[in-house]
Amino acid sequence: MFEQYQCDGLFDEMFVDGNTPRAHYASVANRLAAMGSEAFSRRVRMADMTFRNQGITFTVYSDTRGVEKIFPFDLIPRIIPADEWNLIERGLTQRITALNLFCQDIYHDQRILKEGIIPPELIYGAKMFRREMFHVNVPKNIYIHICGTDLIRGKDGKYYVLEDNGRTPSGVSYVLENRSVMKRVFPALFSAYRVRAIEDYPHNLMQTLKFVAPPHAQDNPTIAILTPGIYNSAYFEHSFLARQMGIELVEGRDLIVENSFVYMRTTAGLRRVDVIYRRLDDDFLDPLCFRPDSCLGVAGLMNAYRMGNVALVNAVGTGVADDKAIYPFVPDMIKFYMGQEAIIPNVPTYICAREADRKYTLDNLDKLVVKATNESGGYGMLMGHQSTKAEQDKFAEMIKADPRGFIAQPVVELSQHPSLIGDAFEGRRVDLRPYILYGEKPIVMPGGLTRVALRRGSLVVNSSQGGGSKDTWVLEEEDGEAAPSPLPAGTEMLVTT
Amino acid sequence: MSQLASSTATFNLNAPSRPMLARDADSMYWMSRYVERAEHIARILLVNSNVLTDVGDLTPHLQQRQWQSILTIFRLADLEPADSKGDVSVATQIVKYMTFDEKNPNSLLNCIARARENARSIRENISTEMWENLNTLYWSMSEDAPARFEDSPDTFYRAIMTGSMLFQGLTDQTLAHDQRWHFTQLAKYLERIDITSRVIETKFTILRSAEAMLEAPIRNIHWMAVLRSCCSIEAYRKAYSGDMDPLRVASFLILRRDFPRSIRYAVSKAHDAIAAIRRDVNPGAIDSAERVLGRLDAQLEYAEMSEILIEGLPAYLQKLQASIDVAAVEVQKAYFLH
Repeated sequence: MFEQYQCDGLFDEMFVDGNTPRAHYASVANRLAAMGSEAFSRRVRMADMTFRNQGITFTVYSDTRGVEKIFPFDLIPRIIPADEWNLIERGLTQRITALNLFCQDIYHDQRILKEGIIPPELIYGAKMFRREMFHVNVPKNIYIHICGTDLIRGKDGKYYVLEDNGRTPSGVSYVLENRSVMKRVFPALFSAYRVRAIEDYPHNLMQTLKFVAPPHAQDNPTIAILTPGIYNSAYFEHSFLARQMGIELVEGRDLIVENSFVYMRTTAGLRRVDVIYRRLDDDFLDPLCFRPDSCLGVAGLMNAYRMGNVALVNAVGTGVADDKAIYPFVPDMIKFYMGQEAIIPNVPTYICAREADRKYTLDNLDKLVVKATNESGGYGMLMGHQSTKAEQDKFAEMIKADPRGFIAQPVVELSQHPSLIGDAFEGRRVDLRPYILYGEKPIVMPGGLTRVALRRGSLVVNSSQGGGSKDTWVLEEEDGEAAPSPLPAGTEMLVTT
Repeated sequence: MSQLASSTATFNLNAPSRPMLARDADSMYWMSRYVERAEHIARILLVNSNVLTDVGDLTPHLQQRQWQSILTIFRLADLEPADSKGDVSVATQIVKYMTFDEKNPNSLLNCIARARENARSIRENISTEMWENLNTLYWSMSEDAPARFEDSPDTFYRAIMTGSMLFQGLTDQTLAHDQRWHFTQLAKYLERIDITSRVIETKFTILRSAEAMLEAPIRNIHWMAVLRSCCSIEAYRKAYSGDMDPLRVASFLILRRDFPRSIRYAVSKAHDAIAAIRRDVNPGAIDSAERVLGRLDAQLEYAEMSEILIEGLPAYLQKLQASIDVAAVEVQKAYFLH
């Protein structure tokens, strides 16, 4: 099945070259080679069926029919050895700490502006900078309680941070479900490795939420997840997390603010809510404070929040930290607040708001990736090397009209990983989104969402753009250099068919 | 040892159940009603097809009335006669309309889709078993469903009925019997009362008007079909043997104390459910829905078939449906519209 496999000069996660697997992939490679594509396809169908019957789906907005889709699941696991993970874990812990210090600073003393580290106009020009949060004290000074940071690997095999998602990152439910399906479909292969468990994520998330409960809730806060509703693309995840934590899943219309406290409408009347894990953008939270046309939020919520009567997770205004024009300054933040060098580097970024960067960007549109600073999900992007002249001209106009709205980065040749395409394995580009919780202390979930660009040659991995996902195995620290135990061929057959 | 004792003492196993979101209660209720409705639709369509095969020589007019009575039971307007060409196509037309038509709010397809949509919005309130069962049932209505239906309508409808009953069983066995469960029970029994009473009323009216023309064996088949439509034929036979006496069938379906498909049984369970919900939410007072169902329960408890007949069976059943409607509206006001 790997006979035709090509590394194409890219960094391949699984192979050193066309036919030599990396040591930590040896068991997987042997097993797959012995299995054949038909048996493998059977497992793919089995997994797809499981996802559908369990209702593990997401909603695509542009589709008129069949709005619910299965997130394509790519059965070959992505494996990360312990030493690599060590670096990632330290890097992400450092990063979420710096981002939280930054949010606290930017909404209070603004030392980082006063000392000239970040130009103030970039902050004040950020769409997600919330003046409403100025001098508001948030519980325990935590702003970003949950962060999903996108990592990529370049041709050199080094990890880079592509972006931080510090607002309402999604995908963690797929990480947990992918793992549970994987264990079901490939039990023997899974147990041949010592994979670090991720199943305590909901528990850790619950602790993170409890940690910021207002004092009046004492030991028994009422915690709810606020969802935009069942038509939201991430609804499955909202419902999944509510279920895993045993907390309420509420919509805006279930909540009401009275005397600056938040209540939910129950069959027995109103009940106070103390912590809200909101999966709703700032803009929609409170029609009295932000968008007046929002029907998804709760009138008066911001007031209750500012009075400290309810905790919001993540805090309002964290979008300023994951603005794409602020992103280039994260290494500076790390140095400024923590006196450290960034452990995981950024991708070099040109900020179009700066004249020299803008000129460079406009001159090299055919070589750069241009991104709108306030978009996510792979929307509002120009992939320079794959674009037409007309598209480049359109972006040039847009950049000139709104320089603050764009950044540019060199094309990073993402690492690739084998995926089953038809009946053979082909390389497809991948990234990695680990999830970091920040409560009493930062916790990095050992694993994450490996997203795959399933279209050949594509560098865009977002699920809204035809991406799939893989289970991600972070291996336990080995004593010595012991490789995973070899798996006798045929074992898998006995277990599952 | 003492440590163990002191730590267990802090668990309060009788703590009152957690309050439930009004919207969740609403969805719980409708999920359950639609599942119950789907089961009845599948059974009634199946029984009607079979009975008309059994008594092949019915007049076209009576056949047509039989099919149209299904629409009456589910409160649907008659189909445009322009679409119907001859008797066979009325049957085909109504079967299609009641099974797969997306425009018919009470088609099987729509009932299952709505049940599942409600379940999806309260996924965290129901068990995984319930969800996966209902979700699988939902997907079984798409894709190759029309082809499987063509192969064997019988198998198709039976799968729906089994799926629905499996859901009821899972609800009983995987959900705590707290307020959430009581809402599913209330909904299930209200739906059952409504449909059962409409089946009896509609069929009674048709068969009465045609009775003079029907010979005893044919009449028996029709009344057996009524019992089958209510999933009651076997229980009835265990209780009575011999001819299908229309009044005995009606009194069995209305007044039987110990049979889950009878109206009396369902009213009593619905009454229990609403009383349990009210005790949970508002221990101090009786609410309007409970009052309506409580009175109905008591009335059926002491009812006599002969008295019902003095009033006239159809009139009696219509009054009963009206009470059920009032109860449903009161439930909505008291619990869903906070």
